[in-house]
Amino acid sequence: MSHILEVKGLTKRFGGLTAVNDVSFGVNEREILSVIGPNGAGKSTLFKLISSFLKPSAGEVTFRGERISNLAPHIAARKGVVRTFQETTIFRNMSVRDNVIVAHQLRARASLLGFFAGSAEARRDEVRFAESADEILSFLGLDAIRSELARNLPHGHLRALGIAIGLATTPTLLLLDEPFAGMNHDETMKAVAMVRKLRERGLTVLLVEHDMSAVMKISDRIVVLNFGEKIAEGTPAEIQNNQRVIEAYLGVEDEAIGL
Amino acid sequence: MTKKLIGLVVFLLAVFIAVPMLIAATGRTDLYYVFTSVALLSIASAGVWLTFFIGRINIGQGAYALMGGYVSAILIMYYGWSFWWTLPVAGIFCAAASILIGFPILRLRGVYFAMVTLILTEVMRLLALALPITNGAKGITSIPPPGPISLFGMTLVPDFATLQNPRIAFYYLSVMLMIACFAVLYRLVHSRIGHICMSLQQNEELASSIGVNIAALRVMAYAISSFFGGLSGAVFIGATQSIYPSSFTVTDSVNFMLNCFLGGLGYVFGPMLGTLVLYLGWNLLFSTGEFQLLIYSTAMIVLMLVLPNGLLSLGSFKRRG
Amino acid sequence: MPGPSITFTWWIRRLMEQVIANGLYLGAQYALIALGLTLIFGLMNVLNFAHGQMYVLGGFITYTVYGQLGLPFAVAVICSGITLAVIGGFMERYLFRTVIRRSHREESTMMLAAATAFFFDAVMLLVFGEKQRGVPKIVKGVFNDFGVILPYDRILVGLIAAILILGFIAFMKYTKTGRAMRALAQDRVAAQLMGVEVDRYTMIGFALGAMLAGLVGGLLVSITGVNSGIGGPISIKAFMMIMIGGAGVVSGAIAGGFILGMMESVGLTVLREYGDVTYLVIFAALMMFLSIRPNGLMGKPWG
Ligand SMILES: Nc1ncnc2c1ncn2[C@@H]1O[C@H](COP(=O)(O)OP(=O)(O)OP(=O)(O)O)[C@@H](O)[C@H]1O
Ligand SMILES: [Mg+2]
Repeated sequence: MSHILEVKGLTKRFGGLTAVNDVSFGVNEREILSVIGPNGAGKSTLFKLISSFLKPSAGEVTFRGERISNLAPHIAARKGVVRTFQETTIFRNMSVRDNVIVAHQLRARASLLGFFAGSAEARRDEVRFAESADEILSFLGLDAIRSELARNLPHGHLRALGIAIGLATTPTLLLLDEPFAGMNHDETMKAVAMVRKLRERGLTVLLVEHDMSAVMKISDRIVVLNFGEKIAEGTPAEIQNNQRVIEAYLGVEDEAIGL
Repeated sequence: MTKKLIGLVVFLLAVFIAVPMLIAATGRTDLYYVFTSVALLSIASAGVWLTFFIGRINIGQGAYALMGGYVSAILIMYYGWSFWWTLPVAGIFCAAASILIGFPILRLRGVYFAMVTLILTEVMRLLALALPITNGAKGITSIPPPGPISLFGMTLVPDFATLQNPRIAFYYLSVMLMIACFAVLYRLVHSRIGHICMSLQQNEELASSIGVNIAALRVMAYAISSFFGGLSGAVFIGATQSIYPSSFTVTDSVNFMLNCFLGGLGYVFGPMLGTLVLYLGWNLLFSTGEFQLLIYSTAMIVLMLVLPNGLLSLGSFKRRG
Repeated sequence: MPGPSITFTWWIRRLMEQVIANGLYLGAQYALIALGLTLIFGLMNVLNFAHGQMYVLGGFITYTVYGQLGLPFAVAVICSGITLAVIGGFMERYLFRTVIRRSHREESTMMLAAATAFFFDAVMLLVFGEKQRGVPKIVKGVFNDFGVILPYDRILVGLIAAILILGFIAFMKYTKTGRAMRALAQDRVAAQLMGVEVDRYTMIGFALGAMLAGLVGGLLVSITGVNSGIGGPISIKAFMMIMIGGAGVVSGAIAGGFILGMMESVGLTVLREYGDVTYLVIFAALMMFLSIRPNGLMGKPWG
């Protein structure tokens, strides 16, 4: 079958450092694919390349057969490839609901002039956005805090809000960078269930995560990066028994204990 | 809603009836010039405020005010245009120039953008000194007052030269333009465009990830801002009938920015209030002679210490407390 | 008899040497001014509009102590430095700290900085008047060799400036205070977690930045004199230098200072007839440079 997203020979160099080195893989429609690897392996950089926040040094990304590398990020978003951020990135000085409403920009039918003049189309847009925002908020269990100022939210909610903002753009492919970071076990389990529900909504999900138990539970397939290179790809069971992966992670532990 | 309406009516009554009555009663017609200046400067400040709104500190509005003034003066003096036509043209000229300048420099953020715009003001002054058409340091003087506007043979606006007191006419003109500009600004900020601008102010990366064309939006906001600057500069030279390279300098650019701060960056009418307070304050202190700048700057420092979020934040304190 | 072409290259070389000597002299002053500004910026993210005014105040203090009271020049310059350091410390403690704490937007410090710049201008205008003030030469005579003509006092001041720059770098590198400030500039939160007393070192940093401005002002009054109106233009020049090099970076400030010094020296020689056009060209070049390299030569991203 053909892939919805195809990454071919993707390479990104920062000066002398090759953060992503000749990485290729494909993603199937409605799949949950995790990218794992030690700190600094190039996972976030890979996501930035896919979502066009960075321009690759070599290689390309095709989405539904169309080349999307080298576009501006807002164009990639328009085509349905949307990323959330590793850091909790939200609009701090807006309410939770306004955060999600403003993120509906891609669905606007009215022009900017229409919004300025308050045309009928623009008013219809506003109503649709509000309804959709409320729907997303209740889907993610955020309705109780919808009128809180975003900057006052606790960490777990911020992550969820980041995902809500992503969802508002109606993506086809959602890239989640460490969505479970800083969550306790219960919160993680809830979030895992939520990501599964995203797939039921028809989304394809690409995920970077350090929480291995969550990754093993949730992923259809896993891609492993180490020092920018892909060292393995396969189902969770295959990855758990892959010698190179074990070495890569052990290597990190050795460093951590000072060997 | 009704509260806003009452506010608007009170404001209109104040500027169109109370101020002229007050001036007539005291006989101090020179105050018309003061209020005209406040109106025009607050238009320019409104532009600066809009760039603040997308998260850019703009200390370059003096450049566009100067540019607008020269465009208007040159069109009137060398090409025989009517003053009225030069107003929109000056605004559009500045907006167009700001699009060219803005594309590269709007990529800068924070103090970098602030400093580049500050330097832009200086560039414009030096250009005005160097270009032949701007007539160097001597500037362009004896610009005739605005002529009449008639539509289908009906005179809508009389020839300013025939007026007994053209100051009053300039006052009304400036105030009406100010109201129009702030109406546009208000609508912009309170429509969805405003929300998108706010998203830009808070996080440009995230804004572009939700599909906002941040480069285009920034340039658009900057162009509107510069339109305001050019417009106010053009009307200004109508009122003063002259323009020099020193008509708008770095000090003016800084003042436009200060007007916004003082009024409050979170409030659309902040720049208007800020301009009124700073300009009136400065003029009231005129009688203190050599101590004028000292008292003025001390007052500003104290204000910043007491109300670091602007004058209009007083209201929100009360509401919260 | 040398042919005309030889005379021409000889003339060009002499001119070049002269231009470079002037550029180095200017650059050393400028770098010192930029260092103070960039230090304050790096530590607190405050663009100190009053930096030029601090320089001018330093000049007036040396003018008073050396020129009026007749005390030794070195004493006068040290007085300038100390006074400005104290003023800087007070400004941080009682003005900037308060506003940074209470304001919703960090740009508010800009308004405060601008207001203090006005305040300094006003005070200096009242106390020292608007006349251009100069002091007796600190050393007489002119160096004239290797095709370079440079008064000895300029050489001396340039050397002192260079020594101060080196001293500053050493201070930032090898003292505990300097290291603490560098940690602060790098990452405020991390520094705090590591136990750096943020408030204390911010205040020291502000004082140090102000002191540098005062020292240069004091040094330069012996050459260019001083008047109460040049604070604003000096600030603008200082802004340019730190933009060229990259704001908040010590090496950037030094590079920016020397580059601007060179550009001025070259520009004023080549474009002499056109007067202010030199600055027009420099400004335009700078704007173009920045649109290509938004963080200057060595700035951190979005510093
Ligand atoms: N803009 C940049 N400029 C220079 N180097 C960069 C840049 N972004 C990332 N790097 C470097 O590229 C490498 C990969 O970084 P990346 O953020 O992709 O790692 P990661 O796998 O996401 O790590 P983590 O698990 O810590 O999030 C790192 O060594 C990092 O320092
Ligand atoms: Mg990462």
